[in-house]
Amino acid sequence: MERLKKILQGFETEYIEEYKSQWLKVKLKKSTDLIPVIEKLIEEGVKTCSTISPTDFIEENRIEVNYFLEDLTNKRNVWLKVDLPRELEECKIDSITSIMPSADWHELEAYSTFGVKFEGHPNLRYFLISADYYGKFPFRKDFDWETHEKNLIKNVNAISQEFFDEYRENETQIGHKESKTVLHWGPTHPASGPIRLKVYTNGEVIEKVEPDIGYVWRALEKLAEFKDFIGTIVAVERVCFMDNTNPMICYAQAVEEIAGKEITPFAKYMRVILGELGRSASHLVSLGGFFGTMGLHTLMMWCLDVREYYLDALEDYSGARIATASIEPGGVRYPMPDNWFKSLRKAIQKFETTREEIEEIFIKNPLMESRAKGNGVFTLNDVEKYYLAGPIARASGAKIDIRLDEPYAAYGDMDMDYVTCSNGDVRDRLLIIFKELEQSADLIKQAMAKIEEGIEKGEMNPKKDHLIRMPRRMPAGEAISRVEWARGEMLIHLVTMPKSTQPYRLKIKAPSFNHTMVLNKLLSQKTLSDIPLLYGSMHICQGDLDR
Amino acid sequence: MLKVLDFFNYARSKSPWIVHFCSGCCSLEMLAAMGPRYDWERYGYVMTPTPRQADIIFITGLVSKKILPALLRTYAQMPEPRYVVAIGACAYDGGPYNESPSVIKNMTEILPADIFVAGCPPRPEAIIAGLEELKEKIRRGEPSASSQGGLWKQMKF
Repeated sequence: MERLKKILQGFETEYIEEYKSQWLKVKLKKSTDLIPVIEKLIEEGVKTCSTISPTDFIEENRIEVNYFLEDLTNKRNVWLKVDLPRELEECKIDSITSIMPSADWHELEAYSTFGVKFEGHPNLRYFLISADYYGKFPFRKDFDWETHEKNLIKNVNAISQEFFDEYRENETQIGHKESKTVLHWGPTHPASGPIRLKVYTNGEVIEKVEPDIGYVWRALEKLAEFKDFIGTIVAVERVCFMDNTNPMICYAQAVEEIAGKEITPFAKYMRVILGELGRSASHLVSLGGFFGTMGLHTLMMWCLDVREYYLDALEDYSGARIATASIEPGGVRYPMPDNWFKSLRKAIQKFETTREEIEEIFIKNPLMESRAKGNGVFTLNDVEKYYLAGPIARASGAKIDIRLDEPYAAYGDMDMDYVTCSNGDVRDRLLIIFKELEQSADLIKQAMAKIEEGIEKGEMNPKKDHLIRMPRRMPAGEAISRVEWARGEMLIHLVTMPKSTQPYRLKIKAPSFNHTMVLNKLLSQKTLSDIPLLYGSMHICQGDLDR
Repeated sequence: MLKVLDFFNYARSKSPWIVHFCSGCCSLEMLAAMGPRYDWERYGYVMTPTPRQADIIFITGLVSKKILPALLRTYAQMPEPRYVVAIGACAYDGGPYNESPSVIKNMTEILPADIFVAGCPPRPEAIIAGLEELKEKIRRGEPSASSQGGLWKQMKF
């Protein structure tokens, strides 16, 4: 940390602050300093860019670009800020993609939504947003939504026109020389979900893959600016319904930090239980979906059966199966129901009784192993280079887990360790999911024991301790919050204005974005039949890919 | 002749095939309806990957602007008679994304639905109940709502 500070002091900065235990918050005076600073940081080991988040301060006529840079091995991170003028012609900065490949798509996103031009980016183009927003930079504060919305048919026709142009280009540009062609995998493929992979093939061999995303782009980050702090939960939990509790924890933590409130120990343990329930429900779909993409639907059915019991537990608590809205700033939304632990124990018991069968029949399945072993390997170096997060990184042996690196909720008191595999191939990415399911069940048990102990000692009151009072109006502030989501690190960057009832800017960084970014590297020189297998092994959810 | 057509409708209503197309989060509850606890195959519903064999298309919750052409294209490829089931609040008026700029808010005006299942997301039981009602409509041989009108006819896709 001290060494990082020393390096940054060599440049002209407005301030260098320590933020939380692992972050250095730095504001650079000159945007031209960016590349030298980052080159120095890479030498020091800060090799990964988590995300890039511009904030539009329209009254001060500036756009502030936030870079979140992480050192994955030594767990020290840098939050870099640079001011840019708001005018479109001058709003530009040097691209860091060539020295930090993990920033690639994040720069494209910032360009498409805010119009920050990244000079020197290898392929700067509009991305994520649909064709009717090209050149309009919809996340800027002065963009007029209502006028834009008026002509729906024209907008949809503009989007269709883009597809037609693309088809025509494919016909004329590529022709039918050799056996080269472009195939579209998705958005109606049963295994793909709403994403389209443009697969350039030569015969059966894939030459390159260009993912086309934005099919479920709901502009959640902008939507949050229209809602109040409680209403934003609705937007945040809909990042992805597979695991919907952890995003709410992440958002709630950011609001609590700005308000300067600390939640009760009971609520912290409840967050652990709810978070692990969400993670288990998501992992069960991933596990079944993986075999589903290989053409074997039995495990899918088994996993869905177990998942129903986890959803029952969520329903007993919140009344909803997957859209629970169960966590809000200040704690958890509802007091604990009387017999809730009974349904939790039932879910865990159901998992434990099917666990052995799943392991014997599917996880050790020789047919699966012959297809998956040694296929699609990611090394530790790739993890740092492209910032693969969560289970994908841990399958390669990287010790990354926000629950341990930067403990939140009650994870600091839990007895847990990094779950890792060593090979980083498709099989390990499946195995790690299975191992984490066991870990989650264990964590739920531990948290239940702690709550029971607390109630017995009279330290916790399950009917009153669940929520503390939060102020209706927030002070001005800025916070980031990270949680370990089912698919990796989730980072929320929240900015508020003085006495505000609404978020001023909310940026959600979700792991599937990076995992889709590496598909080209993963699939090149593989055959067409590998696409569903390798794609399924990345556990991508389009909800958090597009937001 | 009338009797023969009636028999076709009767047969069609017994096992409607549904095209595998998901555009939003409600598809997770469709997945649950497929799963062992709710198991909609008991009622004869089968998912098919190609629209050319399908009778029903689902509007699974939200439809963003970018996926709308793909949805309409899939719909246009289905053989007649074809029915539309809209599930989730988003398919009606945008639901929780009502203020969002990139989501279609009047989906049922564009592609009129025969059955609308409310909820965010609707429970699997509700989805199956909605489909059962659609079966009645198919059996009676009523023309589908989308074949009679809708903004989709003015759009390019």
